Amino acid sequence: MGGMTATDPSHVRDDPDDDGRPVGDASIWDRAAAAFTRWRGGDTRAMDDLVRLMTPVLWHVVRAYGLERSLAEDVVQTTWLTLVRRYESIAEDRAVAGWLTTCARREAWRTAKAHQRVRATEDVEIEPHLPAEVSAEDRAQLADSDSRLWRAVGILDERCRRLLRIVAFEERPDYARIAQDLAMPVGSIGPTRQRCLAKLRTALTGDGWTGDGWTGDVS
Amino acid sequence: MSAESDAELFRALRRTWEDLDPAPADLVDRMVAAVATADLSREYALLTLVSQTDLAAVRGDADALTLQFSDGTASVLVHVVPAESGLRRVDGWVDAPAVSIELEQDGRSWTTEPEHGRFAFEGVPAGMTRLRVVLAETTDAGAPADLRTPRFEV
Repeated sequence: MGGMTATDPSHVRDDPDDDGRPVGDASIWDRAAAAFTRWRGGDTRAMDDLVRLMTPVLWHVVRAYGLERSLAEDVVQTTWLTLVRRYESIAEDRAVAGWLTTCARREAWRTAKAHQRVRATEDVEIEPHLPAEVSAEDRAQLADSDSRLWRAVGILDERCRRLLRIVAFEERPDYARIAQDLAMPVGSIGPTRQRCLAKLRTALTGDGWTGDGWTGDVS
Repeated sequence: MSAESDAELFRALRRTWEDLDPAPADLVDRMVAAVATADLSREYALLTLVSQTDLAAVRGDADALTLQFSDGTASVLVHVVPAESGLRRVDGWVDAPAVSIELEQDGRSWTTEPEHGRFAFEGVPAGMTRLRVVLAETTDAGAPADLRTPRFEV
């Protein structure tokens, strides 16, 4: 969570396309930190902002572990309740997003291990749940790129899929912890991530991906 | 490959996962409510799974399962064994002063009173289950009224 600067908290719900990477001058991680600081300062509503900001991120991180949806919801809830109970252990406000995702991954990993009948991530229902406000054309476009990307992801092994999903939704994934979860040496996470990306890119290139988007993509 | 094209690919991946496996529509609101409740008072404590032992290898039972839940103060131990007709027997033990134990499944629930912390449910159908431990009233400020486990499969 580099370059921590004071950020205007009124931005919290402004950008639906926010993707966790810096947008303008405030990433989702900086905004999480700002909300947490305000909450610690006594602004109880700031916690709502933090929950709204980070719940979707936690959902994807937890689902990367292949937990079925009801279990994933429980893990996300446990993560929030753990924050309320243990927030005092977070030394630096700007570490809050990383603390949350680490807590969620730890809980997801424990839960996944405990449930022998966990369904594999790839069994996730594939029917698209697209936002209602998207136009029919955009939906066709999006559904098409989704299905192509989904197909390419499907070619990868489970370890690659899990790693890419975690990395995609976390700003600075805790490689040591992920390595432990995936039973991999920590030094191999970086190279594995590159190998997984390369495999994905190969599959996609054959399917029209140019590196900047899809060929003919209107956006 | 450049960092920008990696970032572009991750952006596309995020969008795909957000489209194909979105968080439930009401999840955020429910989490806001859960946190608000927890923030104001400790009406109930959510236990987390501490350990799970699969005894099958040890005992040769197909589905025997032992789970331990805790919130750092109280803990609940649950032992599940298969019974007749595909049903389950759930034995448990709680180390907090409990007045009743409720086993919940999809809209159904069963209640029992523990004896010296021990409790048992017989004839439980297989499926996702959670336990609620109703604690004896206490004058301790901030003490929870009940303990709840996450869902687990019996």
